[in-house]
Amino acid sequence: MGPFLEALIRAFRMILTVDPEVYSAVGTTLYVSTVSLVLSLLFGIPAGFLLGYASFPGRRVLRTFVDTLLSLPTVLIGLLVYGLLTHNGPLGRFELLFTVHAIVIGQSLLGFPIVTALTASAVEALDQRLRLTLLSLGASPLRRCATSLREARYGLLAAAVTAYGRVLTEVGIAIMVGGNIKWHTRTLTTAIALETNKGDFAAGIALGLILLLMASGVNAALYGLRKRA
Amino acid sequence: MRFSSSPACSRSLSSCPLLYIFQDVEQAYKGRTVLSVARWSVRRGTVLGLVGPNGSGKSTLLRLMGFVEFPVRGTIFFEGRRISRKDAQALRLEVTLLPQDPYLLDRTVADNVAYGLSVRGVRRGRAARVQEALQWVGLDPGVFGGRSVRALSGGEARRTALAARLAVRPQVLLLDEPTAEIDGDSVQRVRSAILHARSNWGATVVVTSHDREWLLTFCDEIQEMRDGRLTGPIAAKATIGVQ
Amino acid sequence: MKKAIQGVLRLLVVLGVLEYAAAGNAETLMMATTTSTDATGFLDALAPKVKEILQIDLRWVATGTGKALELGKRCDVDILLVHAPRAEKEYVQHGYGVNRRVLMYNDFVLVGPPSDPAKVKGSEIEEAMRRIAGSKASFVSRGDNSGTHMKEIELWRAAGLADVPSYPEYLETGQGMMATLEVASQRRAYTLTDRATLAKFGEDAHRASSLPVLVEGAESLKNYYSLITVNPEKCPKVRAASAEKFTEWMVGPEGQAFIGAFRVGGRPVFLPDAQRRQ
Repeated sequence: MGPFLEALIRAFRMILTVDPEVYSAVGTTLYVSTVSLVLSLLFGIPAGFLLGYASFPGRRVLRTFVDTLLSLPTVLIGLLVYGLLTHNGPLGRFELLFTVHAIVIGQSLLGFPIVTALTASAVEALDQRLRLTLLSLGASPLRRCATSLREARYGLLAAAVTAYGRVLTEVGIAIMVGGNIKWHTRTLTTAIALETNKGDFAAGIALGLILLLMASGVNAALYGLRKRA
Repeated sequence: MRFSSSPACSRSLSSCPLLYIFQDVEQAYKGRTVLSVARWSVRRGTVLGLVGPNGSGKSTLLRLMGFVEFPVRGTIFFEGRRISRKDAQALRLEVTLLPQDPYLLDRTVADNVAYGLSVRGVRRGRAARVQEALQWVGLDPGVFGGRSVRALSGGEARRTALAARLAVRPQVLLLDEPTAEIDGDSVQRVRSAILHARSNWGATVVVTSHDREWLLTFCDEIQEMRDGRLTGPIAAKATIGVQ
Repeated sequence: MKKAIQGVLRLLVVLGVLEYAAAGNAETLMMATTTSTDATGFLDALAPKVKEILQIDLRWVATGTGKALELGKRCDVDILLVHAPRAEKEYVQHGYGVNRRVLMYNDFVLVGPPSDPAKVKGSEIEEAMRRIAGSKASFVSRGDNSGTHMKEIELWRAAGLADVPSYPEYLETGQGMMATLEVASQRRAYTLTDRATLAKFGEDAHRASSLPVLVEGAESLKNYYSLITVNPEKCPKVRAASAEKFTEWMVGPEGQAFIGAFRVGGRPVFLPDAQRRQ
């Protein structure tokens, strides 16, 4: 039996037998990635909107800077968050290191520039005539922003899907500030890293298949939203 | 800002108060002057046609009248009041512009027509007013109301945009080339919608077009523009109260 | 759309509750340890026992010995389970840790290609290291400051070399033991490994034959694991009482018996050795 076939069978067995370790990792993964995505969207959409919509001195430079942050390696974010959360660090007294909250902070930092940059692009790509149309119909400044965002909704959806994909599959942050603690901060990706370390490649691939299954489920749900929007 | 309803000027247009007064107004983009109006006024209730070659300043004049942009020099009075930028938001609820190349929101036709109403907080009777406006421009609400704007032809899209302006019943309706890309039958629809706006709620209408003959059939006054200047009335329809 | 958002929020609440419910009443003891104790499943087997008997919720971060010591220095964990005696002693001397107790050992072996180009099979470990360096034979090092890496450096020194060799065929992977064994097998190189990971690696017969054991059994190849409590004077938040309770149990008869009884694939992995106090 080849390792891939074995992995496939084991993946199904893990799902069907409700393997508690696997489900714990799935739950943690779902929790941290979803909360991180929500936080990324909460901060990234307004920031990206400002960046793409408003004109202010230094906008171009800031835009380039955010684009650069897209290639921020996860281990670097992990290191940064570690430095912030370590006992003697600036946020050490909150005792967040090696908890799911630490992973959420790191993954939000990962998702934020992605959402910001893609939102800015989506807003920049809006039709030039939109502004005049909204003005002529009497929309207030706030209303103009809201309507412009709604016009850019497919772009925002793409931003959310991209950010979710990155957050869901990253391993550097989760292992560095989460610590891969069984039942607590072990996510699917850190579990894969551990199985690889143990030399159980088939288990690693099986977990990878479950991760892919989750990702496709989330994407299907998001694109379902798109149809209704 | 409050707007007085039109006083006793129904019998004679010349007795109507001046709605717009332009004083030494100049507009320039990147230092190039595109419009220069020394002294000009429009009375409330007028249906005014603007003709002139491309680039003669018609669209710029409409944007200034619509308070979507502001002149680099000079003063515009509206209802006797000197207008500054901070008045613009309130004024745009009363004055609405149909741009030459209107944009439709990526929603249904009915949602587009309802947008101006929702901006003004109109909730009661919104659906009825949307249907009414669609009928004015000759779009069957039953057929077009739920249609996505992506499925519209150029002419249908233009009429949807016009309906969106009519639905809010503006005091001033500024139409930039409303008949471009529209077939003959629908052109008459636009004309009747304009006249409807004036007779029903006393709207002042300014409309630009390349079709002088068409404007002659319903405008109180036609102004010609050339090189950013108003070169004077060229013809006026014999209509109510013109002496 | 509204329903979807509500659904997501509900899910978050449920997951949040699960997260807290899982913590229970037991006091948490945070350990920094090396990959070997985690990857063999040793701590996985130990944690439920510790929870049941001591009411301690043992959690651990598995990393190299170097980083584990660093986590302790920064007060991010309560207790360390590591295997690098020289670095550990320094660590305690500098006041970062207290109550260092030797717990158990496993042993290292030198493995290499079946053809054994440096002719080390059966020789003393020091002599074997000298022959490898002398013939500039291919050698794969962890190179990650782990306990195994530190042991390797110790062996080069014991072999009389002034420094760690540096020649083109001396390779550093910077990865875990399993990955390093894989590299050694593919590159037909020598490497130093702990027996537990080698056993796991050799479950596949083909791979086992690609890396036979060449040198084993010397006292200097023994790999001692110790518990060190992070110094509560330097790190006031350290859960010192739990650390004390856990340490005493581990070095006591029950803990030592547990270590001796732990098996991977029917083979013992760690040998209890708490008698040898230091």
